[in-house]
Amino acid sequence: MTHQGIWVVAEQTVSGISRVSFELLAKARELKEQGRVQAPVTAVLLGENLDDYYSAKLMEAGAETIILVDHPALRYFQNETYAAVLKALAEERQPSIILMGATAAGSDFAPTLGAKLRTGVSAHCVDMRLNEEGHLVAVVPAFGGKVLGDILCTNFRPQIATVRPGILGKVICFMHKQCPVERFDITDILAQDQGRVKALGITYEEMKGVPLEEAELVVAGGFGIESKEIWQQLETLAAVLGGAVGCTRPPLDEGWAKESQMIGTSGKSVRPKIYIGVGISGATHHICGMKDAGLVISINKDEKSPIFDVSDIRITADAAAILPLLIEGLQKNEDDVIC
Amino acid sequence: MALNIAVCIKSVPDPKWYEKITIDTKTKTITRKGIPSIINPVDKNALEAALKLKEQYGGKVTVLCMAPPGAKNELYEAMAMGADEAALLSDLAFAGADTLATSYTLAQGLNKLGKFDLVLTGTESADGATAQVPAQLAEWLNIPHLWNVKEFVLATEQEIHAKVKMDDAVGEYVIQLPALLAVSREINKPRYTTAMGVMKARKKTLTNLSKHDLDVNESLIGQVGSPTWSGDISIPSLARKGQELIGTPEEIVTQLIAKLRAAGIREGRGMVNDASGNLGSGRTDG
Amino acid sequence: MFTFTEEQEMLRKVIREFVEAEVAPKAQEWDEANHCPVELFPMLGEMGIVGTFVPEEYGGAGLGFVERSICLEELARHSAGLAITVMAHQLCMGGILNFGSEEQKKKYLPDLATGKKIGSLSLTEATGGSNFMGQKSTGEYKDWQWVINGRKCFITNSHLADVDLWTVITGQNEKGKPIMTAFIIDKDTPGHTAGRTEHKLGLCSSNTGDVSCVNVKLSPQQMLSQEGDGPKIALSTIQEVGRAGMSAICLGILRGCLEESVKFSNERIIYGKPLNKLMNIQFTIAENKLDYESAKLLTYRAASMKDKGLPCACEFALAKYAGNEGAIRAAKRTIDMMGGYGVINEYPIGRFLRDTLAGSTAGGTSDILKVVIAAETLKG
Ligand SMILES: Cc1cc2nc3c(=O)[nH]c(=O)nc-3n(C[C@H](O)[C@H](O)[C@H](O)COP(=O)(O)OP(=O)(O)OC[C@H]3O[C@@H](n4cnc5c(N)ncnc54)[C@H](O)[C@@H]3O)c2cc1C
Ligand SMILES: Cc1cc2nc3c(=O)[nH]c(=O)nc-3n(C[C@H](O)[C@H](O)[C@H](O)COP(=O)(O)OP(=O)(O)OC[C@H]3O[C@@H](n4cnc5c(N)ncnc54)[C@H](O)[C@@H]3O)c2cc1C
Ligand SMILES: Cc1cc2nc3c(=O)[nH]c(=O)nc-3n(C[C@H](O)[C@H](O)[C@H](O)COP(=O)(O)OP(=O)(O)OC[C@H]3O[C@@H](n4cnc5c(N)ncnc54)[C@H](O)[C@@H]3O)c2cc1C
Repeated sequence: MTHQGIWVVAEQTVSGISRVSFELLAKARELKEQGRVQAPVTAVLLGENLDDYYSAKLMEAGAETIILVDHPALRYFQNETYAAVLKALAEERQPSIILMGATAAGSDFAPTLGAKLRTGVSAHCVDMRLNEEGHLVAVVPAFGGKVLGDILCTNFRPQIATVRPGILGKVICFMHKQCPVERFDITDILAQDQGRVKALGITYEEMKGVPLEEAELVVAGGFGIESKEIWQQLETLAAVLGGAVGCTRPPLDEGWAKESQMIGTSGKSVRPKIYIGVGISGATHHICGMKDAGLVISINKDEKSPIFDVSDIRITADAAAILPLLIEGLQKNEDDVIC
Repeated sequence: MALNIAVCIKSVPDPKWYEKITIDTKTKTITRKGIPSIINPVDKNALEAALKLKEQYGGKVTVLCMAPPGAKNELYEAMAMGADEAALLSDLAFAGADTLATSYTLAQGLNKLGKFDLVLTGTESADGATAQVPAQLAEWLNIPHLWNVKEFVLATEQEIHAKVKMDDAVGEYVIQLPALLAVSREINKPRYTTAMGVMKARKKTLTNLSKHDLDVNESLIGQVGSPTWSGDISIPSLARKGQELIGTPEEIVTQLIAKLRAAGIREGRGMVNDASGNLGSGRTDG
Repeated sequence: MFTFTEEQEMLRKVIREFVEAEVAPKAQEWDEANHCPVELFPMLGEMGIVGTFVPEEYGGAGLGFVERSICLEELARHSAGLAITVMAHQLCMGGILNFGSEEQKKKYLPDLATGKKIGSLSLTEATGGSNFMGQKSTGEYKDWQWVINGRKCFITNSHLADVDLWTVITGQNEKGKPIMTAFIIDKDTPGHTAGRTEHKLGLCSSNTGDVSCVNVKLSPQQMLSQEGDGPKIALSTIQEVGRAGMSAICLGILRGCLEESVKFSNERIIYGKPLNKLMNIQFTIAENKLDYESAKLLTYRAASMKDKGLPCACEFALAKYAGNEGAIRAAKRTIDMMGGYGVINEYPIGRFLRDTLAGSTAGGTSDILKVVIAAETLKG
């Protein structure tokens, strides 16, 4: 087969490059080694004002060659343009594997790219490996994370896969000195754009505290929190512990929490060192997003609730009784801590 | 101005039962016996959005599903909710489709049914949950699309303004009709189906379309037309050996604080020893 | 052999979805607060749940009694209190639909069928429900008006109804027997007031109480059908609408008992195994299942006979008797099976027992039902 090498499509964010891009580069390097792939791991980044900072970061995270596509038209994600650019690049360079983050943008333009190239796309993978023949085996969740399936795409190239942010977890700092950086010109591609979709702008949600995906401690609340007032106690607890607040789906519907705080199949995957779940029953949809946490502590008034099966520390109690005592206890003892 | 709207609905096993799913270890297939089928939950939001548009601008709402024959129940339910017509794409040759083949078949179904101003889908199904069908369907139909739409309005006869959920952000877009929008669940609250609706549904038209009724290239449908295939499937065990903290709430909290401390917690300052990756995502040089 | 049509199966599915979302989560709370969730009425109306059997021309869903039973069973599965509220409201509509003039139907039914207004039927008096010819309320024709006086008790929706159907004694015939006549009374008619509210053993999320009339003046247009038609209206409404509704409500409670017993016996671990590994517990499940299935067959058979226009008084008596007694047995059995948990109010099973006991007399006590059944059976 003529298709060679592993590509990682990185993503520009307001503050630099999305963390999942680095997770993917680490994984790509691992796959390369495992499959004794000759071709270098390539990072492709689309965006605007892509200065040396970006190539340095990508290189540090494991890229061995870099393709930067820098154009004002790429400022905001826009599927038609993004997919057209990637299609042109992939047809010209013929990579064997293209990995993307299953972010809002990646989840949308990976399938478009797949359709344009008439090839397969594995969605929202939680893990991947190369088999003996060197084909990509992507582990894909279904049924709310209950079932995992190996997805292969043996007869078509490239093999495209999106990977959920936070799932791979590991980011590695590589110590190499130099890697080729190429800038790809898209003037011709843009000329063909039909302008059927126009991006007007993007508004970022105001984030308070530690970002959920990066927090080392997550306090997550579910429907068992029962009221806005108790929810505030949950937030206080997270603040006292220096962690982030996560949630299941019902608190969104109740208006206690925000979309960006949801953990699970349709939300975020977290792997904090400590996860404290309060008033959460433990539906697969949620567990799928927190199963990799270090220490799992659960507080639920129902001793039979399934969350206890996946917990290290189980507390059968009323959240409303425990939360104030816990906050008080932690605050009281703060001074005693020997640093 | 009347709108011709198509809504793609998938028939899925009810997510409330996913804990009960098992795998047949011999045949390596997922056993969903006894689990009732429902309309994929977010597809009801798509249908609701279509019905609202129809109420506002007039027109017609057609629901479409590719599935085995039993899915006619879900299509009748969609008509009970208010859709005017339904089409079921059903053929043994469609089976085993991945998202590319599914979206190709749906596209050929839509082409057969007419010209639509707007195609609505959900963001993702509850079972397969790849979220890939909408983008690929738009590609086969050669129309623009937006995915994860949480709000939209018809700005002019040819244009829709939409708000799209991004990561911790909301993007705003203008998209030209005909277009496809994949809507997310916060876009609306689907109406309940009424008793009157149920009775009207059976009088509406449900068209069955097999591969012979469609203009399909046989190498693009079903398993044959699917570039991906699935190997092993498994149900991972996530069980942990839990320790129960017992006592009065005060006693429990004392034990818990000790546990947290043992795990390296310092109040207000997070973890004691930050041993995580040193490659943050933010740029610090401003 | 009775089977459901595909429409009926779908109707059950969509009503269940509604009930699980809007009723189930709050049922216990309503019960504890003695709150009748009238705020749901407009929505129930829109869904066709209250106006099920009212023809479309009067704003109803235009369906039959099988469909009505499905709706009531699904409501009662989670809240028998709400179900009896709807059922009693339907008694009022049933009376007007079957005996009202075209003008009365046009005036009252659309708002009632769509849940914009609430109805009640006031028959029972302190002197006896079963002995309803013994009632004392009176109607007197004076100055081109009917003047109504009397007090009704145990009336569902007493404090909520906008439209109240009354039976009163308007005179005596040649043989000295009372002449009973029915009237439609609007809520704000002077002299028509709700009295005490009953605190009941069960069905606490329904409103039951006294209603009285003191010199309530009604124009002759408020009379339902003709003078002397009271017994016919009352009997047919109670037997065919009330009893039919109560059997569906009992059925819903029975299904609640069955489902709770299955759930609990699966989840409760005893001797390291689920409770239902014990054979006596399996017997409980089997008995609950039998009680439910037999009441189900009786209820839907009677309802389908009613829809076909066949006489079915005995069939509904059988259905309500089997359903009510079955539900009492199943609830008790399930409480026993649950051990200590059975009497803890976090579980709905205690409420199911209270509800089914409280609903025993409505639509006819078991003894009255046996009288009806025996009379029909002995007729040969
Ligand atoms: C364990 C497992 C893993 C899988 N992984 C992959 C994979 O990685 N890549 C891949 O290509 N396929 C995969 N599949 C196959 C995929 O699930 C099927 O192709 C499925 O028919 C369509 O995809 P979806 O359910 O993910 O739909 P989504 O793309 O998640 O559905 C989005 C929307 O598209 C519409 N829609 C989807 N399907 C239909 C339909 N049949 N009829 C009408 N409207 C519809 C609905 O509006 C729906 O809300 C996997 C299947 C399983 C069981
Ligand atoms: C397609 C689809 C996608 C989904 N995606 C996600 C997702 O990404 N993330 C997600 O989380 N969910 C998701 N869901 C929803 C998911 O299926 C569950 O419904 C949800 O996770 C349940 O949330 P919960 O545990 O907070 O609520 P519940 O299941 O209602 O549980 C509440 C728990 O609180 C306990 N409790 C009650 N009161 C108290 C008290 N006073 N003190 C202590 N405990 C108490 C109860 O015992 C119970 O265990 C999805 C659903 C679907 C259909
Ligand atoms: C929750 C609830 C809601 C109600 N809602 C309404 C309503 O909306 N409208 C309304 O008009 N009424 C309503 N009722 C009243 C109900 O219809 C009566 O309670 C019922 O008819 C029985 O009448 P009673 O209470 O006077 O008992 P009685 O008639 O005094 O009966 C006492 C006992 O005698 C037995 N008995 C009576 N007659 C005979 C007989 N001939 N042969 C054998 N045994 C007999 C009975 O079985 C019973 O055991 C409601 C009652 C309840 C509890």
